[in-house]
Amino acid sequence: MADETKKKEIFEKLKNGVIQYDEDACKEGAQTAVDEGIDANEAIFDGLVSGMEEVGRLFEAQEYFVPEILMCADALYAGLDILKPHCKQMDLGVRGSVVIGTVEGDVHDIGKNLVKMMFDVAGFTVYDLGRDVPLDQFVEEQLRTDSELVCLSAMMTTSMIGMPKVIEKIKAKNPDCMIMIGGAPTSKELADKWGADGYAEDASNALKEAIKMVSFLKKLRDEKAAKK
Amino acid sequence: MNSRERVLKLFKGERIDRVPCFSGMGNVTEEGINKLGYKFAGIHLDAKMMAATAASTYRMFGFECGVVPVDLCVEAEALGCIINVYPHAEGILYPTIKEKLIHDENEMDVKIPADLADRGRIPLLREAIRLLKADIGNEVAVGSYVLGPFTLAGQIMELNDLLKLSFKKADKVAKLLDVMADAIIVVAKEYEKAGVDYLTVREMGATSDVLSPRVFKNLILPPLQKIMKEIRIYSVLHICGKTNDIAPFMMEAGPTAISVEQKNDVAETRKKLGNDALIFGNYDPYNVLVAGTPELVRQTIRKCIDDGVSAVWPGCDIWPTVPRENIEAMIDEVNKYGGKK
Repeated sequence: MADETKKKEIFEKLKNGVIQYDEDACKEGAQTAVDEGIDANEAIFDGLVSGMEEVGRLFEAQEYFVPEILMCADALYAGLDILKPHCKQMDLGVRGSVVIGTVEGDVHDIGKNLVKMMFDVAGFTVYDLGRDVPLDQFVEEQLRTDSELVCLSAMMTTSMIGMPKVIEKIKAKNPDCMIMIGGAPTSKELADKWGADGYAEDASNALKEAIKMVSFLKKLRDEKAAKK
Repeated sequence: MNSRERVLKLFKGERIDRVPCFSGMGNVTEEGINKLGYKFAGIHLDAKMMAATAASTYRMFGFECGVVPVDLCVEAEALGCIINVYPHAEGILYPTIKEKLIHDENEMDVKIPADLADRGRIPLLREAIRLLKADIGNEVAVGSYVLGPFTLAGQIMELNDLLKLSFKKADKVAKLLDVMADAIIVVAKEYEKAGVDYLTVREMGATSDVLSPRVFKNLILPPLQKIMKEIRIYSVLHICGKTNDIAPFMMEAGPTAISVEQKNDVAETRKKLGNDALIFGNYDPYNVLVAGTPELVRQTIRKCIDDGVSAVWPGCDIWPTVPRENIEAMIDEVNKYGGKK
């Protein structure tokens, strides 16, 4: 087993790899973690996710913009692809699956893909329907997969209008399913009015919301570890 | 002073009785479409229907312009992309690009087709502009719009790739944007010849929500300047999202006026750009105009005027389900309050 210093060094490498959108550093860091027998879940959360948290902060401070975030996401995936096969089933008390997609009439998927990334990181099973998705397909996929969460994304006002129809249909068939809406034209008022459980207005907010959720999982895990 | 005179005088920088209430972007209404007995999906493909629908917002509500087209896919389609108009949709879905032109980085060396002016729906647009001019051209200014180079590039290739390359391989993107600018100029000239009074260039992909002001200045400004230099009629540069930091660059691009949305602090922009700058904006065309109450509409319009807009103008396309009482409240408020400043 690697000692604590070595572990910390690897986590730093993964974290900085994400922040500096350095795919090679993330690959190397992840491979070292695997070779040294470091817990893959830890490497993901304390390395890659820590890095993404910092990226979220940099975006908010307007030091990073969307191109940078996309490159950071590529770096994160480079590490994640190596670590994922070595992940133990996480016992977080939260496990789940999510149906995600951009609604019909909209071909924008950047925000959707960032949210998807955080669900991938958190170990969710992600059913990604892609973009320009006919509304009924969300309802069918939720029923087919019995997912706890459905995320609907729209970048344009002109395509957002389909959202309440999907929410209504899903809630009618499965009242416990949580629904998150996202995209530039959405707002808390609309989310409330349409009966959605959460919303994120842009890619950064979506990223922030998803980070918040995943960070919460991380906290749960830490608390659990502390109790042991 | 009729609406047409008011808008043209505004562009000329002459004195007017009140700010006009118009747009350079889509403003068709469901009420107008229904009254004419059309379907939304049909109006994109028929010059007569497109022109009649565009005229209906003026005819029914007194909105002070006529604008075609209604969707955002005209240029990309003419360049060879395949579009989807959702012919069987129950509600309103705007056309989108189904098949892109560039599939990876190695295909970025595109050429403009020699017959671009006669491809896709550009002949249809020429006809729609002529019909719209003949119908209401003596009463209101007639406008059209083209996309900006970055936004158009984001339609003909994966936006994801374009964004990353604008950082990693800026030279390659600059070259593509220059070609896009040439294509946009061809289209703009056709609309000009067909008789529009003003042309809006919609560069919403380059908002500061997405791109840094630095990248905007280095990469987006040069092709925008190229386009604006070639447009002989009045021009408006529209960018949505955050624009306070890039508003001076928008002016530097050389349009007659700039157009900003609700995320722009217009009072600050006004201070920065001075009293003579033409700044159009900046009410929220969905959350206020469609989803709000008439009172919220009136408040918002007064705030736009107090902040110093040169024209009351929406932040984006007006969503067609706009309630009659809201659009009436807006026009009434501009009539009452629009001469105060």
